[in-house]
Amino acid sequence: MVVIVYVLAGAAAAAAPLLWLLRRAVRATRAAELRTGDAEASARAVGARADAAEQRSRAADGTARAAEATARAAEATARAAEDRAGAASARADAAEERTHAADIAARTAEAHRTVADARYAAAVRELGHLAHERLPAATTALTHPRTPVPGPLDVTGGTEELQHALESALTAAVRAVLAERDRTDAAARAALRGAASKIQALLIQVRSLLEEIQLSVDDPRLLALDFRNELTLRRVQSLAVLSGAWPGMTREDSPLAELCVGAQSRVAGYARIEITNHLREPRLAVAARAAEPVAIALAEILGNATAYSHPETRVVVSIEQGSSGALVVVDDMGVGMEPDQLERAGDLLGGQAEVLLTELGDPPQAGFAVIGLLCRQFGFGCRVEPSPYGGVRAILRLPADLLTLTDPAAPLSALAPRPITQTTPVFDEGDALPTRKRRSPRVPQQDAPPALPSPAGSTPDRARSAWSALQSGTLAGRSAVHHGPGLDGPAAPEGVETP
Amino acid sequence: MTTPSGPRRRLVPAYLATQGRTAAAGRHSLDRLSILHAAADLPAGLGGEHRQLWELVRPGALTVAEAAAHLRLPVSATVFIAADLAERGALKVRAPIPSAQPVNRDLAERLLSGLRALK
Repeated sequence: MVVIVYVLAGAAAAAAPLLWLLRRAVRATRAAELRTGDAEASARAVGARADAAEQRSRAADGTARAAEATARAAEATARAAEDRAGAASARADAAEERTHAADIAARTAEAHRTVADARYAAAVRELGHLAHERLPAATTALTHPRTPVPGPLDVTGGTEELQHALESALTAAVRAVLAERDRTDAAARAALRGAASKIQALLIQVRSLLEEIQLSVDDPRLLALDFRNELTLRRVQSLAVLSGAWPGMTREDSPLAELCVGAQSRVAGYARIEITNHLREPRLAVAARAAEPVAIALAEILGNATAYSHPETRVVVSIEQGSSGALVVVDDMGVGMEPDQLERAGDLLGGQAEVLLTELGDPPQAGFAVIGLLCRQFGFGCRVEPSPYGGVRAILRLPADLLTLTDPAAPLSALAPRPITQTTPVFDEGDALPTRKRRSPRVPQQDAPPALPSPAGSTPDRARSAWSALQSGTLAGRSAVHHGPGLDGPAAPEGVETP
Repeated sequence: MTTPSGPRRRLVPAYLATQGRTAAAGRHSLDRLSILHAAADLPAGLGGEHRQLWELVRPGALTVAEAAAHLRLPVSATVFIAADLAERGALKVRAPIPSAQPVNRDLAERLLSGLRALK
């Protein structure tokens, strides 16, 4: 135990410093402890502060959270507001656009209205023009084909529909007028046909009666009456043909020369018509079915020729025989026809133009229309052209199928011209060049005064004979007046041998 | 088509021979029994009907009525043709031969007694 105490002493000796150290440590510890306590206190304070802070922090945190929530809410609100604003803006934009569009539309509408107004005015003008100008002109043009029909006022401005509508209105009106005209014309034609046929039949009876009476009664006035009757008959015949009746009467095959003379006899100025027969075959005849139509057509040609030429000029008719048919060439020395008249006549003769009674004029000029109708119905042809004689030349062409030969036993009428080659030669055979013989007019100039001897170079003898001739003529005239006029007078028995 | 039955319908009327005149030319009194005979050559410038009449009467004399029958024309129309020819001297016209009349018996007896007295 000593050792333990030694050791404890030695340990005590040795422990002295340690004790010191210990004391020091204890002091230090104590100090440390103090400081620790301080620290602890301060730590505690800090902790409290921290707690407080923490609490505050927590509170702050809550506040923050609340704020955050509020902010979020605000943000959401803001967003919503923003959205609404956007939407409102979009609506505003849209509204603005609509306004703009409406504005444009309004402007467009305004422009359209202006255009529509202009169109309306134009349409009214066009309608007025249609009613007052175009329609009357179009209806006039139906009867006078050369009447100009004005077009619409404004060809470029109006719409196509308007022009179309106007045109169809015009067409419809013209069609209605045409239909009505045809109807009226048909009615007039039927009435005329009835009357003309009846009168024609009666006049033909009158003709037969007159012909009969002429054989027993020698009064020349019967001949004049016959002539008047024939003129009337021709007028009625042409009306009958125009109104679509059967042309006149049936005939047998008739010699062409006789037909020409027969046509001549139906014309007022027939004495001026000079027919020359150049047929190689005198019996050349027109077939029965076409005989009377050819006579009527020729009478119309001759009627035109005499009516439109001076009463003292001749109308020259030549009957020719071609290689395939016969021709009757009629020349007058009249005033001729204007080119448009010739053209119209050509249309009528060619059967191209439709003939209406209303188109014949007043007084009716039916000649070419009648000839054209007969040409078309019976297959012969006619045309007119300017004549080398100065007037109009009309050529009637008879095709071979309308021609035939008559019975040689049936004699020609004494009044029909014989073929010129049978009586006198047309050309002198001895001459180197053919010369046409002059033919003096067939009509003796009865009314022409006898040629008086010319006073120039007269001798007393001649003067005496002239005066005595005048005296005897006067005496003869007086005695004729005393004894009654004309044929029965016994005056001037020169040339009559009394037994 | 020529039908032999019945006369042909008239195509050429007789009044054409008048040439539009109301009375015959000249102052010859022509009636249906006037006698025509040719006196000279046919003058130029007349129509075919004149030639036919002239040729008809050239061999001898014919009355107007006979000539008219030959020409198949009425007498009234033939008169115009004959008058034209007479006017130009191509025809001579005689008045009709008067028909026989009853003899004046008294005159005849006086004539007879006068003749006997001559012996």
